[in-house]
Amino acid sequence: MRDVVIAGVGAHATGHFTEKPLKALAHTAIWGALGDAGATPRDVQAAYVGNSLGGLLTGQEGIRGEVVLQHSGIVGIPVVNVENACASATTALRGAWLEVASGAADVALAVGVEKMFVGDTARTIAALAADSELELSDMGMQFTSSYAIHPKINIKARMREYGWTLADLAKPAVKNSFNGSLNPLAHHRKPLSVDDVVNSRVVVDPLTLYMCASISDGAAAALLCSANRASRFQKRPVRLSACVLRSGVYRLPADGRADSAEVVAREAYEKAGVGPEDLDVVELHDAMAPAELMLYERLGLCGPGEGPRLIDEGITTLAGRVPVNPSGGLCSRGHPVGATGLLQIAELVWQLRGEAGPRQIARRPKVALAQNQGGLTLGQESAVYTATILEV
Amino acid sequence: MNLPEGMTLLHAGSVHLAADDSEGPSLVGSRCGGCGLVVFPAMPVCPRCTANGRMGEARIGRTARLYSHAIAHVAPQGFVAPYYQAFVELPEGPRVFTLIGRDVPVAPGQLVDGAEMRLVVEPLADTPEKRRLFTYKYVPVDRQRLVERDRAASGGVATHA
Repeated sequence: MRDVVIAGVGAHATGHFTEKPLKALAHTAIWGALGDAGATPRDVQAAYVGNSLGGLLTGQEGIRGEVVLQHSGIVGIPVVNVENACASATTALRGAWLEVASGAADVALAVGVEKMFVGDTARTIAALAADSELELSDMGMQFTSSYAIHPKINIKARMREYGWTLADLAKPAVKNSFNGSLNPLAHHRKPLSVDDVVNSRVVVDPLTLYMCASISDGAAAALLCSANRASRFQKRPVRLSACVLRSGVYRLPADGRADSAEVVAREAYEKAGVGPEDLDVVELHDAMAPAELMLYERLGLCGPGEGPRLIDEGITTLAGRVPVNPSGGLCSRGHPVGATGLLQIAELVWQLRGEAGPRQIARRPKVALAQNQGGLTLGQESAVYTATILEV
Repeated sequence: MNLPEGMTLLHAGSVHLAADDSEGPSLVGSRCGGCGLVVFPAMPVCPRCTANGRMGEARIGRTARLYSHAIAHVAPQGFVAPYYQAFVELPEGPRVFTLIGRDVPVAPGQLVDGAEMRLVVEPLADTPEKRRLFTYKYVPVDRQRLVERDRAASGGVATHA
């Protein structure tokens, strides 16, 4: 396998864009990435396009990738459509990485795009539920509930076991809302207090509105090339040291196996030759804010139950030793599900290059981790787990 | 029991409706002839020992223990908020996502994790889209006793035998 770098990234702002269809959102991200690298459509030799809900919500069930790429002037190349729930964009990134790493292409594009505002929230919620196995979504299971009570995370049980309070659950949302307030691309830019979060309306107890990622439109893209061609492009290349993808396992009651988020992170650390202590910045999948506390453990950033302390001591804040979700994360930057993985990558590339503006981490990061997951199966884990490591 | 005229079962084959009402309904899962693991819903390959073609029908889950529960205050199309989301653990092994029977008031304190539950079969939701679709749900075995205890504690009078 050849070494692969990211030559350029681009993103559309995340938010509510009534007039913009998928291809308009994607256009901004694609030409953002091309412009960032100083590339043209003719440089792109293969493309992977991630999207999850476009079939159900826009009616464009097939060929979404070809449609958005043609709209942006990219034609006549291998195009692969990727659907992998909330991890669609990272799965697209891995496809583009494989194209370049294998030598099949020298330059490949990964795109993630999602259009969730369709004027009917109940329809969007139902479409999101369809990222679960049918036997679950047919029964009215929702992702919020999956965080509150599902065996894989079971926030209610963690509250009993660790003594976490509602204020503890709110801490990631408070931290990330401050980061998001500094991000011009973020959907929600109001800094929140613990009281704001705890007192917002209950969605699924104990999770309140501000602990939950909202519906968003958005798009992001990354242009990848082989390390030996990086000098063709104008920006400092960012090394894609590991991009690990795994499906979840069928978890049995009293299952002794590590959570799959932990398994993919360990695999990514091993491939990149780094450990959690080497990380300078992390973007992680806080679809529900308290999940960030659990993911700290699973990524090796702290021991059991220590998540709230990492925030109390400022370790994961923007000024801390290992800032987490500098973009604002899924709750503040937004979670347009099929774009989220590449929104994380775009943020980390900007941070590694020192281009993140007012939210730039002062001590310039060198090693970054993106953690993204999605879907829910009868196996009682998420359907998809990913971990990606970037380095400069 | 039999389903009322014109009603259908969500996920055909997932629930066994015993002709003899004394037996009551059960879930239909699979038991591995190799390692003995029981799963629900049914699968052709054992997720533990990966044996293919050794999974036999298992009628399970007439009772269960409440593993976790929450009240959802938003609902997808066809459901009405607030409604319960829950997991139960079956004595045969599986942990199953379930809704809670419609007779249980949707309010804090009505359910206790660890409580003994029993299977009921009823409409998925009381909405035009879902009321003709029947599915499994669970209700607390001891709810009647709990209700009476609460009434007694609050100075009310228990009127049920």
